[in-house]
Amino acid sequence: MEILKPMSDTAEAIAARSLRRRRDQTLFRYALGILCPIVLLGIWQALDAAGIIDQRFFPPPTRVISDGVAVLTDASQRAGLLADLSITMRRLAAGYALGAVSGIVAGMAMALYAPLRYAFSPVVYGTFPMPKIAIFPLLIALFGIGEGSKMALVTMGVFYMTCINTLSGVLYANPIYRDVVTAFRVPLLTAWFRVALPSAMPAIVTGLKLGLGQALILVVSAEFVSADDGIGHYIWDSWQVLAIPRMFVGLTVVTAIGGIAVLLGSLLERRLVPWAHH
Amino acid sequence: MSADPALTITRLRKVFVTRQRAVVEAIAGLSLSIAEGEVIAVLGPSGCGKSSLLRILAGLDAEYEGDIRWRVAHTGAGRLHGATVFQSDSTMPWMTIEKNMLLGLSGLPLPPAEKQRRVKENLDLVGLADFHRAYPHELSGGMRQRVAIARALATDPMLLLMDEPLAALDAQTRLVMQQELLSIWLRTRSTVVYVTHDIAEAVTLADRVVVMTRRPGRIKAIRDVPFPRERDAIALRREQAFRELEVDLWTMVTEEVGGDLKADV
Repeated sequence: MEILKPMSDTAEAIAARSLRRRRDQTLFRYALGILCPIVLLGIWQALDAAGIIDQRFFPPPTRVISDGVAVLTDASQRAGLLADLSITMRRLAAGYALGAVSGIVAGMAMALYAPLRYAFSPVVYGTFPMPKIAIFPLLIALFGIGEGSKMALVTMGVFYMTCINTLSGVLYANPIYRDVVTAFRVPLLTAWFRVALPSAMPAIVTGLKLGLGQALILVVSAEFVSADDGIGHYIWDSWQVLAIPRMFVGLTVVTAIGGIAVLLGSLLERRLVPWAHH
Repeated sequence: MSADPALTITRLRKVFVTRQRAVVEAIAGLSLSIAEGEVIAVLGPSGCGKSSLLRILAGLDAEYEGDIRWRVAHTGAGRLHGATVFQSDSTMPWMTIEKNMLLGLSGLPLPPAEKQRRVKENLDLVGLADFHRAYPHELSGGMRQRVAIARALATDPMLLLMDEPLAALDAQTRLVMQQELLSIWLRTRSTVVYVTHDIAEAVTLADRVVVMTRRPGRIKAIRDVPFPRERDAIALRREQAFRELEVDLWTMVTEEVGGDLKADV
């Protein structure tokens, strides 16, 4: 039988070593996280320099950055970009608000009133997998080539996400909440708005966050196909005239919108569902 | 026992239809009357219908055969017939303790000042007066269960229904809570139906212990607990009578569980 060797280190020495190990690990993680994108950009640059990839479509990162800075420092170019950005934001905001509110209302109604659920859940779940952009032509026919169809597209994407998440959030909330409502004879409106709605709030916030991603994809897609303004048009137009650095500026802006949206989503979650992380 | 019971249950029957469309009898003719201020513990093997009984009394299940008669003299507008303390945490995590308490009162036509008074009085009673602004996640499991008890008491129920309310707590906390329940009931003079798996808990808390048979549930035996209402949950365990009653109840319950095992083979 083997006997474990007695430890010669003091407990304090072991603790110090474990602290050091943890610090080294953190440093290592950050170093790799920063190094990896730099290496990837370096490979891109090297491939350009070696003439392996077509410089017309993939100019080296150094040129993308210098041309991008030139776009942003030129007053008229910058004004054009900001105008496109503000138009896209307007479409996003209006479509998102409409989709979120109608989705939550429809989801709540279907969750709380069974006949509505039986009638509409096959419709909602049946049309949910359809890529929303596929019915963009129909939306144009319905709402015109202008703002209406683009907003409607964003609204649809957000509606499905919030509606389905609200519905399942209420239905799959802890059944004890329903028992409390029944056992204590809680009045209907109180049960709806003070119990059912907040009980679904974690799922609703998930729906709202997923809706943000959908909204961004859809607004850019719509602007690709049918717009002469907006950030999607900015990207597509740059591509068509082979203004590749300008295109990368557009991509960076869209990515930033997405990033800020995710951040806002997390803030919203902390505000609306403060109990979720406990 | 007093002449006019708080509640009389006569020939209560309950059947379920399972997913396989089989009809299962959960409760097969149960009659029981409960005196004002009495604490009844209900013991029995799993699936004997004790939770079904509690859900019926709580108003969570209206589909039963038989007669449940509440003493009319006390049905005022400001009380619930039965108020339930559930087995699992039943506080709403998005509401402060105060709001949780008010939710329990939201179905009663009381002036706001009276509701506030009841919230304060009952939070005091369970020792959580300083926590009315706290959220449930800031409290321990035992404290949350005390909120649930206070919420039920605040409705001034004719019958306090408790469905294994301490089952989720650790053994030490459970014993402390048993002692607290004893002192709370001493002050509120509540009439209680207390469902539990824990035989020692039943003897510690109750005036009478009802033992149910395995499914379909009916009453197998009723035992009086020979201790006054004012008792000490720990000192009680030294009593000869406590241990004898415990053994007696264990024998009856294992008979039922054992019979169930044989029936399964």
